[in-house]
Amino acid sequence: MKREKLVEYIQEKFGDRIELLESGAVEPIFLIKNKDDVFGFCKEIRDDLKLQVEFLCAITAVDNSDNFEVIYSVASVSKIHRFDFKVVLDHDNPEIDSVIEVWTGANWYEREIWELYGINVKNHPNLSRFLLPDDWNQGHPMRRDWDAPDFKRMPDL
Amino acid sequence: MTTKKLHTEEFTVNMGPHHPSTHGVCRFKLTMDGEVIVKAEPVIGYLHRALEKICENRTYPQCIPVMDRFEYCTSMSCNMVFALAVEKLAKIEVPERAEYLRVIMLELNRIASHLIWYGTTCLDLGALTPFLYAFREREDILDLFEMTCGQRLTYNYIRIGGVSRDIPEPFLPKLRKFLDEFDARVDDYEALLNGNPIFITRNKEIGVMSKELALAYGVSGPALRASGVRHDLRRDDPYSIYDRFKFNIPVYHGGDCFDRYMVRMQEMRESAKIVRQALDQLPEGEISTRVSPAFKAKEGELYSRIENSRGEMGVYIKADGKEKKPYRVKMRGGSFNQLMVMPELVIGHKIADVVAIMASLDIIMPEVDR
Repeated sequence: MKREKLVEYIQEKFGDRIELLESGAVEPIFLIKNKDDVFGFCKEIRDDLKLQVEFLCAITAVDNSDNFEVIYSVASVSKIHRFDFKVVLDHDNPEIDSVIEVWTGANWYEREIWELYGINVKNHPNLSRFLLPDDWNQGHPMRRDWDAPDFKRMPDL
Repeated sequence: MTTKKLHTEEFTVNMGPHHPSTHGVCRFKLTMDGEVIVKAEPVIGYLHRALEKICENRTYPQCIPVMDRFEYCTSMSCNMVFALAVEKLAKIEVPERAEYLRVIMLELNRIASHLIWYGTTCLDLGALTPFLYAFREREDILDLFEMTCGQRLTYNYIRIGGVSRDIPEPFLPKLRKFLDEFDARVDDYEALLNGNPIFITRNKEIGVMSKELALAYGVSGPALRASGVRHDLRRDDPYSIYDRFKFNIPVYHGGDCFDRYMVRMQEMRESAKIVRQALDQLPEGEISTRVSPAFKAKEGELYSRIENSRGEMGVYIKADGKEKKPYRVKMRGGSFNQLMVMPELVIGHKIADVVAIMASLDIIMPEVDR
């Protein structure tokens, strides 16, 4: 689907459950307003005959200091279109539903955000040490406020 | 006659991390029932270098050498995917000649990467001769890269706004000579293996991946095309100037190791075809738009992706508009998903087949661990 038609279709289908973000000026990015809606949204875009989003490109997390964002980049191989959507989580107790049932390939991406950002993924079958050493106990290194004891910042240019 | 039933139990075998066939450092915990694999669990992270965290502390141009280390067999693609994302985000125009040089380098790098895959796959399966032939041709390509940017592995060649250097004078004659010989060389490679009974027995019907399984796991690139999905980002989501070239997308339907081999062999010919077309159209002119080393991208976020030799390579960049550094960089490599699907493929096979399956998926560990 062409970009404008895709955006229009998604906005029409999901109405006020989602919102088109300005930051997605180059590629469309939607915000899912309710974080418990993620699983349902994923299932619907996969099963919708016009969207057929069967391919998960990546799941990314961003630490904004006062909240977390989890960004899902998805694509349709048969309909040849792509878009992103994101959900905002609060910083104190970040928690999100697993989407492994929708896309099996979400498994390791969710393990990664659990390990590096400390975002708890509900219903995940195997949340265990992944990229970091087995005996790691120094917190979640991708958080913005994390500093290793021997970490030296680059001087400002 | 009665036979007393023997007591059997499952046992665990550790394969790796220092195993020559794992192409990097990857460990498999294999649960075996006799000689047959019941369960496999990849253990990764041995090559984790926190590249994403490093990028958060570098300016945009400084990130490009970091990207080189993301996937060192096709460093050009890594440079390209980052440069492309920043250019889209900051709306930087790239001169025509630079676009053509990029395509030439990307496709040569794809051939070089497939040659490594071809050589090491045969090595893993016990055939030593093809390795020597593959590396002879790869050497030609690396010579071309070296005379252009001075590096043989981590090029730092494709920069934001263009490329770092123009091609030197001896480049074009050498490349033409290489291209003239290359198709015959691929014929030679195929002649060595296509009719070889040992190679066929070890690859046919081994590690069969169905179309549904591949899509569910996010497998992309040659591995996906060998499962019968005609999906190539160079055609489906054209970036740079790929829409100007004519090339075929090889697709096979078996989904086994042998089909993945066939797809890659065809792809080498197609890449050579693209390079030939790009050489014929190569215009004169500027090779780079001037970009300040300390420029700031406007506030925004973007996931940009290209077709790498191992599948979809993507990068997610978030810029906050205040700093000269990206706020967040996420790297996505094809091998990550290909390794994720491996436990499903190896069940019911023997340990020797794990080697064949891993080789055919073309997994490279720095791309998984980052």
